[in-house]
Amino acid sequence: MPNSATTVAVHPYHDAGPELTGAELMRANPYRPWPARITSITELTATEKLFEFRLVDDKVREAFCHAPGQFVELSIFGVGEAPISISSSPTKRGFIELCVRRAGRFTERLHQMQCGEIVGIRGPFGRGFPIDDMRGHDVLLVAGGLGIAPLRSLINNIHDERSEFGKVTIIYGSRNPAEVMFRHQFEMWRHRRDFDLYLTVDHADETWDGEEGLVTKPFEHLEINAENTFGALCGPPVMYRFVVAEMRKKNISYDRIYMSFERHMKCGVGKCGHCQIGHQYCCIDGPVFNYWEAKNIQGSM
Amino acid sequence: MLYRVIDRADVPSLVAALMERYEVVAPVRRGEKYVFAAVSDFDEIELDYPSTVASPKKYLMPAIQTLFEFDTAANDVTDYVDEVRLRVLFGVHACDINGIMNLNSVFNDARYPDPYYAAHRAATLIVGVSCMPSEHCFCNLMDSEEARPGYDLFLNAIGDKFLVSIGSVTAANILEAACDVREATDADRIAFRAATRARQEAFNPAIPDIQEIPMLMDAFHEDGFWDELGGRCLSCNACANVCPTCYCFDIRDTLDPGAKTGRRERVWDACTSPQFAMVAGGHNFRSAPAQRVRHRMYHKLNGFLATHDRSLCVGCGRCAVACKVDISPIEVLRFFERKGAEDAE
Repeated sequence: MPNSATTVAVHPYHDAGPELTGAELMRANPYRPWPARITSITELTATEKLFEFRLVDDKVREAFCHAPGQFVELSIFGVGEAPISISSSPTKRGFIELCVRRAGRFTERLHQMQCGEIVGIRGPFGRGFPIDDMRGHDVLLVAGGLGIAPLRSLINNIHDERSEFGKVTIIYGSRNPAEVMFRHQFEMWRHRRDFDLYLTVDHADETWDGEEGLVTKPFEHLEINAENTFGALCGPPVMYRFVVAEMRKKNISYDRIYMSFERHMKCGVGKCGHCQIGHQYCCIDGPVFNYWEAKNIQGSM
Repeated sequence: MLYRVIDRADVPSLVAALMERYEVVAPVRRGEKYVFAAVSDFDEIELDYPSTVASPKKYLMPAIQTLFEFDTAANDVTDYVDEVRLRVLFGVHACDINGIMNLNSVFNDARYPDPYYAAHRAATLIVGVSCMPSEHCFCNLMDSEEARPGYDLFLNAIGDKFLVSIGSVTAANILEAACDVREATDADRIAFRAATRARQEAFNPAIPDIQEIPMLMDAFHEDGFWDELGGRCLSCNACANVCPTCYCFDIRDTLDPGAKTGRRERVWDACTSPQFAMVAGGHNFRSAPAQRVRHRMYHKLNGFLATHDRSLCVGCGRCAVACKVDISPIEVLRFFERKGAEDAE
């Protein structure tokens, strides 16, 4: 309680002295974005680009550690801030990849930016996929559309530590071949035994050599050892009910089906309320929930 | 807790002593109503007020708060200092103190303590005062009629004296220096119990006491009642603005003229706003008014309880006064009462 000072000052943005670690710097004010430079931009589709960022400050960059499924708050000062899930694997240290769809004012501006330009990043935030629990098990990953963005972090992590996981199956559904992202990466993997890969599109054209149909179609001939399998899914809200139903049909346990929810995480730190689902905050309690948790959240599915 | 007795006539010297170091914010009369405002003299204070239009939360989380300033060319933050005044919230009722306790549990959450809220809270002394319930009060049903921790002083009125609960050393020092402080006598304790009983008996009996509210909120989640409320809701956010425990906010960038510099601000927002749960691309997770009203009530009466072990609603009744179309937790309690009566038939 106050007694002697006449004012209390908050110094959120002083250059920190050498006495603070990167983690302490970030913790001192969770609303403060840290400068990050765009180091690479890859066009994925007509509306999606993959941006690679590098935090400018050494200590902050060192302290930045994420889990697959977590997100950051990306700032363009004067335009605003947007929550974006991390697409790169935690095993790729020093850089942060974000797959961004051009969908509004903020992302429109981001899509105009060039390599070398500076943005602000704070995070990582949220609870990601339980990668450590998944080790030693089979993993069935299902992505729909832009849902590949967060799931790619998990896929790449599994890829980099492949021997620690059992059978890994990836199902990735898009509306049409032009919207399939990371195609090179998937083409590369198609010829390896590491992954059982199913690429599906709702509407095929003459260039398409994958499956045609909904993302649930590959389940028809999928062999799953339910006792030993974790499910992970991410996609548009409408997809969840159907994919979860397929996973349940294959007898994967309620609490081993993990899904990432999309909400507008404005503050990222469990305060602003925008991402509330029932009694939970998507930003700190999620965005990854297992199906049992999701069933117990009013309004989740 | 340490208890002492002071005379009512000693309160002006207590306020004067506080004013030496603090800005004193207290209930004052505005026309037919009361508001919290900064005062410069004890005589402005209306200590026996029924309720204020809005809660004192704005002194801990201003309606517009700068988080930092930035330079758009460098795309980086610039140096920014937030000066927080030392302040006393004087004459706060138990419901509002419990409301502040709820704000504390959100903003001081160990995972992400909020430095702005923490600075305001740390600069603020709270002096509570006992009250008599008015027509819309139902703090007794929300377990908030009593403030246990959360204040520096609490003045319990017992006739022409106050039985003062002392919650902090800072407040104890000021109180002892400013007032004739005495030990409580048996007569004081008897008077205190009589006052407490009188308050308990004065609550509006027309507001139903419902058991198992959280369970009922889940059980009637799909009831047509919410469409009824949603159909009336004006999305004006009056409820959230006067509420002591609505803490949601929006974050926006405001540019200075010339657009070279600007500031990131947080501004009060509410889940009853139509756009509140909208995500990029335009999907709105609560597009219907009924979903928004239900979510607000759900969070107040159930959701917060699930994570913080107490109801977010403290039963101050302000939203019931502020709402033009009769939407409030009281209406939800009445709905549960009707449902209970139907079941009994």
